[in-house]
Amino acid sequence: MFFDLNIVGNSFEKNIELAEYASSCGWDHINFSYSPKNFEHALNFKDDLIDRFLDRDMAIDYTLYIKSKNVGNIFKLIKKFRNKVNCISVLGGDLRVNRASTENIRLDILSRPYFQRFDSGLNHILAKQAKDNNVAIELSFNDILSSYFSYRSKIIANFKDIYTLYDKFHFPLIVSSGSKEIFDIKSPEDIRSFFEVTGFMDFDRSMECCGDILDYNKNRDDFIYKGVRRVNNEA
Amino acid sequence: MKLKVLPPTLRKNNHYFVVDVVYDGVLDKGQLVDVIWDGCVRFWGEMETSNFNLWVMRFVERGSFLGYSKYRAIVRFQRGFEEEFRAALVCINNYRHNRISFVCVGIGGTIKSCVDKYF
Repeated sequence: MFFDLNIVGNSFEKNIELAEYASSCGWDHINFSYSPKNFEHALNFKDDLIDRFLDRDMAIDYTLYIKSKNVGNIFKLIKKFRNKVNCISVLGGDLRVNRASTENIRLDILSRPYFQRFDSGLNHILAKQAKDNNVAIELSFNDILSSYFSYRSKIIANFKDIYTLYDKFHFPLIVSSGSKEIFDIKSPEDIRSFFEVTGFMDFDRSMECCGDILDYNKNRDDFIYKGVRRVNNEA
Repeated sequence: MKLKVLPPTLRKNNHYFVVDVVYDGVLDKGQLVDVIWDGCVRFWGEMETSNFNLWVMRFVERGSFLGYSKYRAIVRFQRGFEEEFRAALVCINNYRHNRISFVCVGIGGTIKSCVDKYF
């Protein structure tokens, strides 16, 4: 299964265009990301969107994408939306946000920790925290696509720093397209090729991580403690 | 005088990518060659691109898609450089200030197999 957990959500018609193209490229599950401001409005047409792609065997869901440098505000938004959405992602870049995000077990994804930075935004401490709290680190392919020359090289260098930490600490690392329009959507094999030549060989594992995040959040209420889940009639 | 054809053991082994191109404008075969070479040289540099042995074998227009021009092409490259070439293609995002997108549809060992399967 190929998951893309961050395609930038828009109007209903635009989402259909993006989803159709993603489906033709070979994606099995896509998540449209919305800011907290637009999320409530987008929920109105979520069911129509899902129904439209049932026959194509493509699943659609939403991601809440929080862009804020205020840690308190981020926690408040996570608390507010945790029960309404399967996937919550926070845009990184700010060191305090990176730290707070990797420490928060209620958060699913720290997106682009290298955003607008001269380094990867992660160190061994944050990597350990991300592993312990099961917070996935997201690398966005759109950062590569929308940059060029030295800027692109620096982003690839940041990716490589993150791969080094991943190899040692094995935190969940996921890959997404961050697409805004159809020009940004590539096939999963294309994305795999890019990440493999830059040094990330666990593309399949990253897709499994995406599936795990969504599965975990479906049963999140049943988890009493890490490793302990309330079960009903499963004997 | 033409060069004599190399014996099979000395020839380069080629594979072929079938590529879908979406472009916000009109593209011809020469321009496609430019885009691909430019993309490879920018991503891999001159030295590594010299290994790719690139050649555009087929180029057809496939109508419009959401208002953009859509094309399909068969591009030859040297066997063993699939991932490298694909990564360079994927990173191409604009040509002459218009957006362009490459998606690799499939890969084949002969032109005939690619045409039979994807055209």
